[in-house]
Amino acid sequence: MLSLLLLLPFLGFVVLFGIGQRGNSWAGWLAAATTLAGFMVSVSFFLWPDNQPKNLVFEWVTLSNQNFTLSFQLDKLGSLMLLVVHFVAFLVQLFSIDYMRHDPNRWRYFAFLQLFIFAMLGIVLAGNLLLMYVFWELVGLASYLLIGFWTEKPRAVWAAKKAFILNRIGDAGFLIGILLLFHYAKTTDFAELQPLVAYTLQLEERTFSLTLVGLLLFCGCVGKSAQWPLSGWLPDAMEGPTPVSALIHAATMVAAGIFLLARIHFLLTPTALLVITIIGTITMLLGAYRAVFQTDIKKLLAYSTISQLGLMVLGMGINAPVASLFHLFTHAFFKAGLFLCAGAVIHYVSHQENNKPDFDAQDMRQMGGLRQALPLVFVCYTFCAAALAGLPLFSGFLSKDAILSAVLGWASQRGGLAYLIPALGLFSAGLTAFYVARQWRLVFLKKPQTIDLEVNNKQKTHFVIQLPLVLLAALSVFVWFSFNPFDASAGWFFGIFSEKTTGDFHEIVAVASVLVAVGGGVFGYRTAYQTFEKPLPDWGFWPSFDKQTPNQAFIIPSFRAFAQRLHYFDQRVIDLTINGLGYVGVIGAHVLARFEHIFVDGSVNALAWLAQFAGNRTRSLQNGQIQSYFVVALLGLIGFIIWFST
Amino acid sequence: MIPSLLSFLIFLPLVGALVILLIPNAQKSAFKWITLAFCAAELVLCGVLYGQYQINSALQYQFLEKADWITLSLGSLGTLSIDYLLGIDGISLPLVLLTAIVMLVGAISSWTIESRPKAYFSLYLLLTSSVMGCFLALDFFLFFLFFEFMLLPMYFLIGLWGGPRREYASLKFFLYTLTGSILILIVMIALYLSGIDPVESMATQSIVHTFDLRYLANGHNYLPDSILSPTGEVEILGLPSRMLAFWLLFIGFAIKLPVVPLHTWLPDAHVEAPTPVSVVLAGVLLKIGGYGFLRIAYPLFPDAANEYAFVLGALGVLSIVYGGFNALAQNDLKKMIAYSSVSHMGFVLLGLASLTTEGVNGAVYQMVSHGILSALLFLLVGVLYDRTHNRFVDNYRGLLIKMPLFAVMTGMAFFASLGLPGFSGFVGELFTLMGGFQSKVLPFWLSATATLGIVLAAGYFLWTFQRMFLGPFWAKKSQDLLLLTDLTLREKIMLVPLALLALLLGIFPNLIFNLSDKTISVWIKIFE
Repeated sequence: MLSLLLLLPFLGFVVLFGIGQRGNSWAGWLAAATTLAGFMVSVSFFLWPDNQPKNLVFEWVTLSNQNFTLSFQLDKLGSLMLLVVHFVAFLVQLFSIDYMRHDPNRWRYFAFLQLFIFAMLGIVLAGNLLLMYVFWELVGLASYLLIGFWTEKPRAVWAAKKAFILNRIGDAGFLIGILLLFHYAKTTDFAELQPLVAYTLQLEERTFSLTLVGLLLFCGCVGKSAQWPLSGWLPDAMEGPTPVSALIHAATMVAAGIFLLARIHFLLTPTALLVITIIGTITMLLGAYRAVFQTDIKKLLAYSTISQLGLMVLGMGINAPVASLFHLFTHAFFKAGLFLCAGAVIHYVSHQENNKPDFDAQDMRQMGGLRQALPLVFVCYTFCAAALAGLPLFSGFLSKDAILSAVLGWASQRGGLAYLIPALGLFSAGLTAFYVARQWRLVFLKKPQTIDLEVNNKQKTHFVIQLPLVLLAALSVFVWFSFNPFDASAGWFFGIFSEKTTGDFHEIVAVASVLVAVGGGVFGYRTAYQTFEKPLPDWGFWPSFDKQTPNQAFIIPSFRAFAQRLHYFDQRVIDLTINGLGYVGVIGAHVLARFEHIFVDGSVNALAWLAQFAGNRTRSLQNGQIQSYFVVALLGLIGFIIWFST
Repeated sequence: MIPSLLSFLIFLPLVGALVILLIPNAQKSAFKWITLAFCAAELVLCGVLYGQYQINSALQYQFLEKADWITLSLGSLGTLSIDYLLGIDGISLPLVLLTAIVMLVGAISSWTIESRPKAYFSLYLLLTSSVMGCFLALDFFLFFLFFEFMLLPMYFLIGLWGGPRREYASLKFFLYTLTGSILILIVMIALYLSGIDPVESMATQSIVHTFDLRYLANGHNYLPDSILSPTGEVEILGLPSRMLAFWLLFIGFAIKLPVVPLHTWLPDAHVEAPTPVSVVLAGVLLKIGGYGFLRIAYPLFPDAANEYAFVLGALGVLSIVYGGFNALAQNDLKKMIAYSSVSHMGFVLLGLASLTTEGVNGAVYQMVSHGILSALLFLLVGVLYDRTHNRFVDNYRGLLIKMPLFAVMTGMAFFASLGLPGFSGFVGELFTLMGGFQSKVLPFWLSATATLGIVLAAGYFLWTFQRMFLGPFWAKKSQDLLLLTDLTLREKIMLVPLALLALLLGIFPNLIFNLSDKTISVWIKIFE
């Protein structure tokens, strides 16, 4: 059954890609149906855990000293993720059927989405790190293909490449971590590693290696989950189709890093956890801070995603993996909802204004008054936004509260500077409420700026657009996760991980976060009309990984300058040396040829001349006269006689 | 069971070359069909060989063929014995299979050769013959003969059918390789003076010198006071003679691999060579360098290989990183791929230097994988070059729109080469790197540096892809608009099987590892 889960999207990919353009009319329906079937299967796994299939193991490489197996496993964590991935993917594909209906290449779009789902499920089901890495890279490929789906848009294909390369940098670290783990433990199976690590943790001399391994594996998370300093690709990835942003860059792929941390949490040493905490905090703050200054409806959401991912990583760092996963869960729904709402808005706006050149359909300053035009989207957006802002009665409040109270608990054990982190967490929660309220007002409530409402009212939205929005909005309400709207610790989520409490500081954090969220929201709402066009701070020392960059300018040119210098070296130093050697050889050869001509050849000539001379001189002896021959012979005979007798 | 199968493999193409020479020039089109037929027959024979090769056999070499070739009495120096000795093991078998495949694909790619086809195709078959000979010979002298013989057709193939700077490139290639050969020759003579054939010597109660690599790989078969004796202490130029001999062999083969800084012939040769010759050069000839390490330099001088492991590994990593950066700086598509070859072959050296089962198996695998992928890449460049006679990246934009199939194939080849899991490139890099990390003789940071190579590979491949294939369509020369047509059937026939093969080996790497592992588990023991 496990293989069925993987086979479904894989076959979906093969079929859709193979059939090509002819499948345009039904590609979306087939894709959605495939994912729905997968969702059913994963629901059955979740509801009846006893029926969960056994692990699948493949012999991949057999060497004389070691075997490398690829294994799939399904546990509580995995079956939860299966639900999220399938559910969001299904809704997104449904949404896309209408959203992409005018695109002549939508067969490819749905094929790539199926490829993505296949790879993402692979990450979820992987039983060892090696296999996870395989799917990890495939997810990167799918993300590349989908961000750059509109291949004629230069900015989109550029963003796709940027995403892949920044991910690759993280993945290189991840790979080193895996290889080191092989070196130390001879295995990367989660089940086999657990006892090994538990043993190793007791040995002091091994903690350094373990910290190193943990941090290197964390590099993978830094890339995929857009943590500082590799977070720069996520805002640019918004160049892709909006439903893709909802699925990949909000709900699932970026969550893979968090999932990885949950999987390897047992091998993270305190030092590694501290580094992870700090990186998470930085990401959370920078993301929230930058979101405040955005005018692009999607980019704001992207920065918000970075910030929320930072919060999840922070939760992992302070040893609250369940709270962190809980936030992953709630965030997946409300953020996907927000993106789909944004997609509906963009879709709508661009259809109204496509006759104007230079009109940016994603610029929030040009929107406004969409509450009347898109009432359903407005309601759904409001629900999801409330969850993101962390208002009570919504899911986001529960999960944020769970993480923040755990952070406060963690800080209270350490004291001193550690209190900074919960304070910063609350601050960024305030910022979140601020930018959400600002966006809400700018897009939906502000007086319409450029859009003609008379025309707009006639627009009807398709049910495949409406259904996902409604479902995701509904899932942003607290009841699905816990009956107590202020505390999730009694809810089912903590129940299945048999973790009963969200920490001792729950009440104070709950009160504080309500205050902060409401305060930030009100402030953001009031200042929404002010323009925040302040340029983003530019830290010159940091080479553009992490900041907004103009087209084409990014990591490659800076590398390229070095590359060209090296190539110059290759041509001017190494090759010149070789050519120089060649010239020296040729010159030497000429010198030698001269020498040869004068001396060697000269001496040969001299010898020849000598022979000729001697010949000339002695020729007169052979004058053909018998008498003179006789004289010579006689003289010779006398000579012999004298020589022998002496 | 076909008797003397290995001899057939070597001499069948030679027969083909003779046939071509005998056919009059008027039948121009026959030449390529004959070449194709002989290359296909070669592949069939390799299939038979693969089928009959016994993986779990206790024998070190299979299909052995031995004939006395030259026996000379040298008086007090003993007897010189050169054998016609062929055999195959788990190291050479994958490379022989690779050779047959690449040569066949190269023959299909040679379809567009119009000038002097008789000479071209007979030289091509001659090249096939000598490459096969290199991989199958177990006698050092015989190996050297084939190794040298390879130069001749290669020199003419580049020099006569190449691009504008072909004379420079072919001469550079020739001189570089010849320099390497001389170094190898020096060591060969020294080896001959030091090593003996124990069986023959015992039988004749005299000293019988040998070039048999099986005997030379055993330290007991060296005369105790000879210059390359493992127990001797002869020093030349302040270096123990065995260490010096290792370095001479190393340089000789490193030129072929190529290892930075001995690589500069490669970009020139590739740029000037016609497409099929580039394919053969990258796909097969570079592997002879790696094979030389595996068959000769390493087993004959295990002490030196151990001693200098760090330097060797560092040279591998240097090639990986240096080649990667240089590839990033290229505007000529062929040069970019040539430098990426330097980078990818660096992994072979890293894997070897690690002296671990994973690393050495990975090196063999990486050679096969790179053979397939580089052949694919050069064929793809050839597709474009055949149409417009222009390979520069910045002459094109948005080719995806005009040539969708070509773009998809190129995208696949690029992703396979940058090490996407599922394709063979990933497995080769993974296992050579793993060797680096498991190694007792290489430090951790060295292999960690090598991962920079996989980041760079993503950089140069994807950047090139973005510039050439994506975005709105544009071509520098307006006449190119008409020329840019999608793949023809012939092109599909050579491209698709290679891509599928890369995929197959990537998913089932055991297809190669099963062959190489058994041999290497024995091979590696001499380094412990």
